[in-house]
Amino acid sequence: MAKPIDLLQGTLDMLILKAISLGPLHGYGILLRIQQISKDRLEIQQGSLYPALYRLEHQGWIASEWGESENKRKAKYYRLTAAGKRRFQEEAEKWNRMTDVIAGILGTRPEEV
Amino acid sequence: MNIASRVRSWWRANLWRSRVENEMDSELRFHLEARAADLERGGVPRQEALRRARLEFGGVDKTKEECREARGASFVETLSQDVRFATRLLRKNPGFTALAVLTLSVGIGASTAVFSLVDNILLKPLPYPDSTKIVLPELVSPPGVNLGSEYFPWSQTQFRMLTREAHPFEAVGAFQNDSFNLTGSGEPLFLDGFRASQEFLPALGISPALGRNFTAAEDQPGHEYEVILSDRLWRERFGADRSIVGRAIELNGYAYTVVGVMPAGFAFPRAEEMPSSFNFPQEPELWVPLAVAAEPKPGPSELAVIGRLKPGITIGQAQAAMDLFTKHAEAQDSRWKGWFNTRVVPLDRQVVGDTQRPLQLMLGAVGIVLLIACSNVANLLLTRSLARRREFTLRAALGAGRGRLIRQLLTESLLIAVAAGGVGIAIAKAGIYFVKTLGPSNLPRLREVTLNVPVFAFALGISLITGILFGLAPAIGATRENLVASLKDGGQRSGGNRTSPRLRNALLVAQVALAMVLVISAGLLTRTFFQVLGANGGFNAERTLTLQLPLPPLKYAEQGHIVTLFQNVLERLRAIPGVQSAGIGETVPMGGEGESTVIRFTDHLPTNPKEVPFANFTIITPGYFSAIGTPLLRGRDFVDTDTAQSMPVAIVNAAMEKRYWPVDGAIGKLVGPGSTRYPLLTVVGVVADVKHISLREDVAPEMFVLYDQNPWPSMLNMRVALRTKGDPAAMTESVREAIQGIDPDLPLAKVSTLTTLVDDSMSQPRFSVFLLGSFGVLALLLASIGMYGVISCSVLQRTQEIGIRMALGAQRGNVFGMVLRQGARLAGLGIGIGFVTALGVTRLLASFLYGVRPTDPLTFAAVSLLLLGIALLACYLPARRAMRVDPMVALKYE
Repeated sequence: MAKPIDLLQGTLDMLILKAISLGPLHGYGILLRIQQISKDRLEIQQGSLYPALYRLEHQGWIASEWGESENKRKAKYYRLTAAGKRRFQEEAEKWNRMTDVIAGILGTRPEEV
Repeated sequence: MNIASRVRSWWRANLWRSRVENEMDSELRFHLEARAADLERGGVPRQEALRRARLEFGGVDKTKEECREARGASFVETLSQDVRFATRLLRKNPGFTALAVLTLSVGIGASTAVFSLVDNILLKPLPYPDSTKIVLPELVSPPGVNLGSEYFPWSQTQFRMLTREAHPFEAVGAFQNDSFNLTGSGEPLFLDGFRASQEFLPALGISPALGRNFTAAEDQPGHEYEVILSDRLWRERFGADRSIVGRAIELNGYAYTVVGVMPAGFAFPRAEEMPSSFNFPQEPELWVPLAVAAEPKPGPSELAVIGRLKPGITIGQAQAAMDLFTKHAEAQDSRWKGWFNTRVVPLDRQVVGDTQRPLQLMLGAVGIVLLIACSNVANLLLTRSLARRREFTLRAALGAGRGRLIRQLLTESLLIAVAAGGVGIAIAKAGIYFVKTLGPSNLPRLREVTLNVPVFAFALGISLITGILFGLAPAIGATRENLVASLKDGGQRSGGNRTSPRLRNALLVAQVALAMVLVISAGLLTRTFFQVLGANGGFNAERTLTLQLPLPPLKYAEQGHIVTLFQNVLERLRAIPGVQSAGIGETVPMGGEGESTVIRFTDHLPTNPKEVPFANFTIITPGYFSAIGTPLLRGRDFVDTDTAQSMPVAIVNAAMEKRYWPVDGAIGKLVGPGSTRYPLLTVVGVVADVKHISLREDVAPEMFVLYDQNPWPSMLNMRVALRTKGDPAAMTESVREAIQGIDPDLPLAKVSTLTTLVDDSMSQPRFSVFLLGSFGVLALLLASIGMYGVISCSVLQRTQEIGIRMALGAQRGNVFGMVLRQGARLAGLGIGIGFVTALGVTRLLASFLYGVRPTDPLTFAAVSLLLLGIALLACYLPARRAMRVDPMVALKYE
């Protein structure tokens, strides 16, 4: 397994939004989902996940409710709100544009300058 | 962003705090358990799985704190958390809390009480509508002209001239005090009142509560038999009978129709609200029309004037208008040229008068007490924060930021401050009650003083400010810790952080210095008080009874009639067993200012007002000087053979002799009233200077004239003085019998021993000394508690060092001396700084002092020694404790 890379500043929020855009999840589930999608290439500090969730909820992009987990335990599930959906699309677009630009810059060969 | 979700989140965070906290707990617990379950499935034993899950997660408490912050609603929440935590801590240390709260509440209580005086007396508007528009146009001496008094009364002619001019007043009224003998129903009652013109009440903006003001027609000579009663007189004498309006009462033998009753509390002008030279009565009970004629005849100047400015007119514009009035008056009558200026004084400034500076002094003094209390509590907190270093370190390690720690500490100090504010208000309330019952009666507006909203706001304000003031330094000091060093230290006593003893010492030095300044000031005032008390007033107050003998003017309209009455009165009084001597005079010592008048030495009068001589002109009977105990310095006293038919004679005081005949003395010289209508008198004697208002006054020139040679018919309000063999107060009844045996209609007023008059004249200085002295004692007490605290704490911290010293052979005496030296060094530094500061500060006190220089070496030396003594006393207990340190125990401590 390759050494996991640290999360880029500010991207955790976007990953969380993406993870729950696929369906409501509890905190631990979000962690697992991100690791699963990234094929364990991203290292997320577990403790930092919850402040991010609280912040997103406070901003109104996600909402939470208590439900039952797979193993019949009470767990808090997060889902995307309508505002969150729009926000995620914006963020994702912005991200894509930026990665394009940066990839373009990094891929520039000397003769193209 | 979605506002509703924010509000919801905030709402939940604050009002459903415990639910939110519980949810957060179970959410995180679920995470840890789910992770552990996953690990268990991978074959890790349960215990190990749980441990690893927690490790991977990181600090749970730190996460929770971050979550709370992320929710963005933490202010109220952390505040309530802080408050609960602080309350718990303070309750756990009742001794510390009580000491801190008590120390601070004394400071807050004293400042609040003094502030309530300042607020009510200086800041609150007068109880008249639009009171800033009310002014007193005063006649004052032009610069360089000294006629013995700063103010002059207005004459009726001048007042008429003013009302005819285009003046700046919406309403302008004149008034003069008079006394009234209420007869007709029961015991004759002597009443102080005012003759006031029709616009007097409109100028104040007050109307009678019952009935009406005088009409302009009633304010005319011949029609002036109407009276307005004070609420008090109406209640006490007339049983609050509403039908009194329209009925007639008998005053000075005339029937006066009652037209109105003033609202409760109205008593303008009270003596303490007006210049003392006006000699107004303490509290007027009735008002009758002044009735100035359209063309007044020349007569004595006896009026005071009050005006309400027209809308939009400023004081400056009013002053300019009055300057113009002065010019017109001079143009109209050249005799007035250069004799007077006008000055427009706002009524509120006049009422506050001389009380402003003593109150400022008190405010300064109480501010010092508050500062000492604050620094004392700051030191207590600093000392305690040392013991709590480990706690802070631990909390910092668990994720509390420095700001969070400072906030926690500030919450604690604010909690102390608010509690102290509560206790302080109770103390202030007691203080105000005390001042109102025991304070000097001549403090203006004292009866209005209450704990009101501004005062509460002040108490709350200074509580919060002091809370931050004394809380911030320790909070910053205590949290400026190197985490690692502290943890290594393990929070041991010996590793005291270097900055805090310095801070504590500085605070202590400041306390001692402040206390020094305050106690020196109190000392100087106390010395002044005793100097004044011991000052020679030119009379002997012992065994002397004084009383006022107001004569009904109708019955005693003739000069000869009055002279006969006085002869009879004196004869009867001298016949009372136990009376040594009796005399009658216009004034008695400490009984009010004399009347100043222009005098002349020859019939050739100076034309320049600046060269005009003046003197107090006092009418007396023979026996007056021996009754009040004034020594005759040269020449002879008046005797019974000085009569209306013999040579006109006068006696002058030493100040007058020194001023006008400094070289060859006054005896045999001629002197007389300023007008050549009156004969010149020959000076036959010189007496000691008699003081009139206060024992600390500078005595003005005064001449005494014999009652039956007196050219002026102004003997309707004379004072009687009796020197007795026994208790003078016990003579009151026999004196009353003797006088009313001659004329049953004569009321006796202001019966009082001379000692009481002297006491009353000292009431304000006594009160100032008492207050400042109490503040001084408080300052000493607080500073010694502070000294005790700092030295004890330092002994505690140096236990190990002391143990080592003793193990190495130091004697107990050496240790004792070492601690005392440490205390003495700090106290000495404070005393030194305080000494230098006091040298500067006491200069501001110069006008309060009498017979003592602001740099009085005795006071400075005594207070320095006193403070040093108290400081050493405060160090004594800790030093004893240090001496008893057992080296073995002390070293094992490590």
